[in-house]
Amino acid sequence: MKEKPVVLKIENIKKRYKIKVIKKKPENKIDSAKLALKSFLNPNSNKEDFWALSGVNFNVEQGEKIGIIGKNGAGKSTLLKIISRITEPTDGRIEMLGKISSMLEVGTGFNSELTGRENVYLNGAILGMTKAEIDAKFDEILEFSEVGKFIDTPVKRYSSGMFVRLAFAVASHLEPDILLVDEVLAVGDTRFQKKCIDKMLEIAASGKTILFVSHQMNTIRQLCDRVIVLSKGKVIFDGDVEEGIKIYNSDIYTEKKLHYEYKNLHRSQAKELDKAEVLSLDILNTDTCVYKVNESIDFNIKVNIKIHDLGDISLRAFFWQNDDSPVSVCFSKPFANINTPGEYNFNVKITDHHLNPGVYKATLNLLGGSSRVNENNLDYISPAFVFEVVNEDGTATLWARDWGRCNFKNLEINPI
Amino acid sequence: MRKTVIEPNGRNFQYWKDIWNYRELALNFAKRDVTVRYKQTRIGLGWAVIAPIINVFVMTFIFGNLAGLESDGNAPYFVMVYAGTIPWGLFSKAITSVSSTFITNADIMKKVYFPRLISPIGTSIAHVIDSLVALSILLIMMLIMGYFPSVKFLLFPVFFLICLLLGSSLGLFLSSFNVKWRDLSQIIPFAISVGQYLTPVAYSIDSIPENFRLIYSLNPATGAINAFKWCLIKDMPFDWTSFIITIVWIIFLFPIGIYFFRKTERTFVDIV
Repeated sequence: MKEKPVVLKIENIKKRYKIKVIKKKPENKIDSAKLALKSFLNPNSNKEDFWALSGVNFNVEQGEKIGIIGKNGAGKSTLLKIISRITEPTDGRIEMLGKISSMLEVGTGFNSELTGRENVYLNGAILGMTKAEIDAKFDEILEFSEVGKFIDTPVKRYSSGMFVRLAFAVASHLEPDILLVDEVLAVGDTRFQKKCIDKMLEIAASGKTILFVSHQMNTIRQLCDRVIVLSKGKVIFDGDVEEGIKIYNSDIYTEKKLHYEYKNLHRSQAKELDKAEVLSLDILNTDTCVYKVNESIDFNIKVNIKIHDLGDISLRAFFWQNDDSPVSVCFSKPFANINTPGEYNFNVKITDHHLNPGVYKATLNLLGGSSRVNENNLDYISPAFVFEVVNEDGTATLWARDWGRCNFKNLEINPI
Repeated sequence: MRKTVIEPNGRNFQYWKDIWNYRELALNFAKRDVTVRYKQTRIGLGWAVIAPIINVFVMTFIFGNLAGLESDGNAPYFVMVYAGTIPWGLFSKAITSVSSTFITNADIMKKVYFPRLISPIGTSIAHVIDSLVALSILLIMMLIMGYFPSVKFLLFPVFFLICLLLGSSLGLFLSSFNVKWRDLSQIIPFAISVGQYLTPVAYSIDSIPENFRLIYSLNPATGAINAFKWCLIKDMPFDWTSFIITIVWIIFLFPIGIYFFRKTERTFVDIV
């Protein structure tokens, strides 16, 4: 087979940011005045270098669909910003062939005073389309957006759904040779999200080169034929999709353990640590913290009660996606009535959770009284533990059958 | 296929080619500015007319009637002031909007690439449109008053360009500092409103005593405003000194402005 041309050559790309470092607080007014003067005269004196990218290298051949994955702060977005020329690298060189477009956000430059039609032309121009191109595609964009007769209404009167649909419609009708996408697919309701992903698949099938940044492993599986894993500004893996996802998972799971100690953990939101404190947590019945959909999550917690006559205690658990977007919460009834100080162990089961496949972080919140009524916040540990949910048969369908029914049953807690 | 190279301190030649490629975007920005400005207001474009006219009346009253200053070349005082406010408006709006271009467009610039100079070019076009509207109103009023401009009026695009270049050169230069020190966006409007009185907008340059005239002309705006008035007012002599000083300022400031702007645009998204 004939070798395909390299359309994107990334050589030793580095990016340095100067970040402000807060040093120890000055003790008196003279010191703080000195410090203020110093930072005024030399603005870099309290800044440190931070290398968001420290030497990234890879080549992309025409038509490849590359998923770029990595933890938050691994440098994915910085890399995309450099390739799309929003900011310059500190060092290195990139060569690109052909027209390059980026979808780092939908609706960039939309102006609420302008009508849908005016915004299509403005946004199209911002994304690099010519008027002739937009004219040619206008009907297609209009149809895809489902905005219909509202196209001549100022977008400030649009529902947020209509707004993102129109925005995505414009962006997805770009015709670049290389397309950069940063997790913009999650727009609109589920039906429109499906449509967006189908559109992306269509673009992918048309032989365009795509670089796709996402935390959604399932979308990566659907769209990409190669994966690059970034960690701390470096490429740690480049190749097969499944293997890359495995490495990415092991990378985020460096923080995932079967046993957690909270004793010295800083908790900003715990109000009454002097009364009660969660000391540790042990995950049960798994070695990997990977659960099938509807498999219950089982763990033990050790609680230290420090005062007499504390009374009822209850527990709340919050769930977050790996990118810190909130998912759901579940509550327990008061599970113990404690009158003597000491260490107590409890077993907690989270059953029937209907979580979509993905990686989640859980927050535990220990409360005095009933968790629904009394907001007596004793301890708050965030994140308390990390786990992953996969489909029952291990396949990668995008939507779990019961997804959207995030209907948590009450926590089941028993003394042991 | 088009080849693009990204390097720290990227090549200039590619950048200027890009400006040409993105010319439609500049027009789109201009269209957006003009549309948005007049969309919500009931009288629409009328606001571009009414506000300056009131302003001109007030200044005519203060400088012409109260202070009793002479007009340029026997023109009605009102016409002279109006002829001064048009280029002054273009000049001062160019400074204000060009100097804040990185801040007002930060949301777009953080997400999409285009040569950043497109954005000041776009706003400048919008300001020129505003000024053309103001100019046509003045011409109508002049016809009503029976005061006709001579042929030299046809040179007005040159003087528009001079005001625009001067204002945007200053704006480009200030824009890079505006990113780091936001205080500037407070200082600039203040400086502009003071500057209006140090420039022959509402009075004739002849009202300035002869021995101060040179110092007065060092103000880069003096020559630009005065020259524009000259093309509208029939019997007004052309003041070469201030005009040449203005041109020298532009030759000096424009490259500096571009240099600072280019330097800032490379990485300003990391700061804003």
